[in-house]
Amino acid sequence: MMTKGKSKTPLKLGLLLLLCPLLLWLVLLVILPQLTMLNISLQERIAPRIYEYGFSNYIEFFTEPLYWNTFLRTAVMSIIATVLTLIIAFPISYYIAKMLRGRAKGLLLVLCLIPFWVSELVRTYGWMILLRESGVVSSFLQYIGMTEGPIEFLYTDATIMLGLVYSSMLFMVVPLTSTLESLDDSYIEAGYDLGGNGLSVFWQIIVPHAKPAIVSGCIVVFMLTLGNYLTPILLGGKSSLWFTEQIFTQFITRFNWQQGSAFGVLLLSISSLIVWLGLKLSRQSFSKVMS
Amino acid sequence: MLNHTDFDLQCTDLVRQFDDFTAVDQVSFAIKKGSFFSILGPSGCGKTTLLRMLAGFDDPTSGDIFIKGKSMIGVPPNKRPVNMVFQHLALFPNMNVSENIAYGLHRQGINKVEIKHKVEQVLARVNLSGSGQKKISQLSGGQKQRIAIARCLVLNPDVLLLDEPLGALDLKLREHMKVELKKLQQEFETTFVYITHDQSEALVMSDQVAVMNHGQFQQVGDPQQLYFQPDNAFVAGFVGDSNKWSATVIDILSDSLQVKTTTGLILYAQKSNEKAFIIGSEVEVFIRPEAIHISQVSTAKADQNQLTATVNNILFDGANSQLLVEEQTSREEIKVKLPQTAEFIHLKKGDNLQISFPKQQVNVFPKLQDK
Repeated sequence: MMTKGKSKTPLKLGLLLLLCPLLLWLVLLVILPQLTMLNISLQERIAPRIYEYGFSNYIEFFTEPLYWNTFLRTAVMSIIATVLTLIIAFPISYYIAKMLRGRAKGLLLVLCLIPFWVSELVRTYGWMILLRESGVVSSFLQYIGMTEGPIEFLYTDATIMLGLVYSSMLFMVVPLTSTLESLDDSYIEAGYDLGGNGLSVFWQIIVPHAKPAIVSGCIVVFMLTLGNYLTPILLGGKSSLWFTEQIFTQFITRFNWQQGSAFGVLLLSISSLIVWLGLKLSRQSFSKVMS
Repeated sequence: MLNHTDFDLQCTDLVRQFDDFTAVDQVSFAIKKGSFFSILGPSGCGKTTLLRMLAGFDDPTSGDIFIKGKSMIGVPPNKRPVNMVFQHLALFPNMNVSENIAYGLHRQGINKVEIKHKVEQVLARVNLSGSGQKKISQLSGGQKQRIAIARCLVLNPDVLLLDEPLGALDLKLREHMKVELKKLQQEFETTFVYITHDQSEALVMSDQVAVMNHGQFQQVGDPQQLYFQPDNAFVAGFVGDSNKWSATVIDILSDSLQVKTTTGLILYAQKSNEKAFIIGSEVEVFIRPEAIHISQVSTAKADQNQLTATVNNILFDGANSQLLVEEQTSREEIKVKLPQTAEFIHLKKGDNLQISFPKQQVNVFPKLQDK
């Protein structure tokens, strides 16, 4: 008992010191700002420079249809973008993990990674060069005679979706590839050997194995999409109606920090709620998915 | 032409060629209905490739595979009447025991009531009744083994393929599972094709064993045949324990050969009708340790090799104890089985012994050409 007690104290101190950077980061950069934001969001202005606690900022959100329409639209578009990313990323990951051997495998993963070496801004401008009215795609279609006049591809929901899926792809491909790689070929072969066809092997063997990676990839992609600002604004223009844009407007244009904070808190709540629902529906635990 | 109906599995001139390497080279065999057939060979001999072709995961470059007389060329694995027990079993970890066994039955479109009945029945037959709801991770090594076999046998395959499934088990359990596998095979009366590099597994369980090396079958026969009448130097050296020497034929007598090992040990061997030797040809000589008789005094009989030797080492291993003795004139070391009888209990290093063995027990083969 004595020795145990003695050895426990320095261990505790060491652990605390090791955890220090993480704790500082969490408290100072994550928890504290969020609490401050919650605090600001609960203040309502009754006269210049005079504030009182109240829910008026939240009430404003629910009474103004533009706000909650944008809010819902952002959530739904993010879910669609996540599902699309999953559908596109799964075959790619499967191909990299199971079909390729050796050098080709590494090469393809690097190819997925390369776009991320330039900033999101540059990548998005790249899409704009391709898709604008006088852009590459439009010119090409005119050149081959598919259309007579120039076509504007930018500023539609489809373009936003394209940009969102493109910028999230890597975050789905990487976890999926590593998890699919860990699935021994013999499970797939056993599935076929026992009479399964492609479909049943996929749903009964591959998907259950990849489920944690699917869920974690979806969580990351959903969070990134929901909080994305650049892609919807640049590719969607004025019609993008993305919720982060509303937050930006409140903070910067309107200088209404109280309203902006309320929107921020609401965005955090809905993303947490949707992630929680996703975990419940897929019967996964957060700790298992993230390990 | 062989009669198809007597054989569950037949292969004719099966070849599997990879870029510059022939993994399976002109293999032909036929396996009788309900028998236990083993393919024994060192790693890299092509046995796994052969098994994968039987299961349908790989296609032969040429040749044909018949199961119950039907050619399997172009038939995908899920349409073949064979099932496979994988090396690491490949039990689906996301399903419990019942679901694992029911997986194949569901694929056949059998109704749920019947599936439940069949699953219970097969669990009872492998002595695991009541384990249906257990997770795979809750099972012991031997139980997993039995579930993997039950998962295949419940589908009633014509042929069950087993890919070294005992490799991952510890020695005690492996010994136990050998007997159990043999019993299961007899009980289900299914044709088993078992591949292994472990000769004891092959010898204990099989009705027929094929010894494979460099993509070819070296010999097919029952375990006794392989052990006592090996066809060539590879089989003689691979199956069982042997004293092995390189030697030269120095004389050919009416019914025997006289050979001299590189160290100068002179031995008499039975002359066989199939193998013709000339004086001076390079040969390999094999004598099993248990074929050598030891005694304190000379008991020379005609027709026997009789040597005087000194005990170099005693390797005590219970019933498998061996002596390493040194022949006096050539100083060649010879492994001899040491019977655990009262006569030899006080034997010690440096003792002199008479060793003798009949010339019929000396196997002589032309020297193997290394590929």
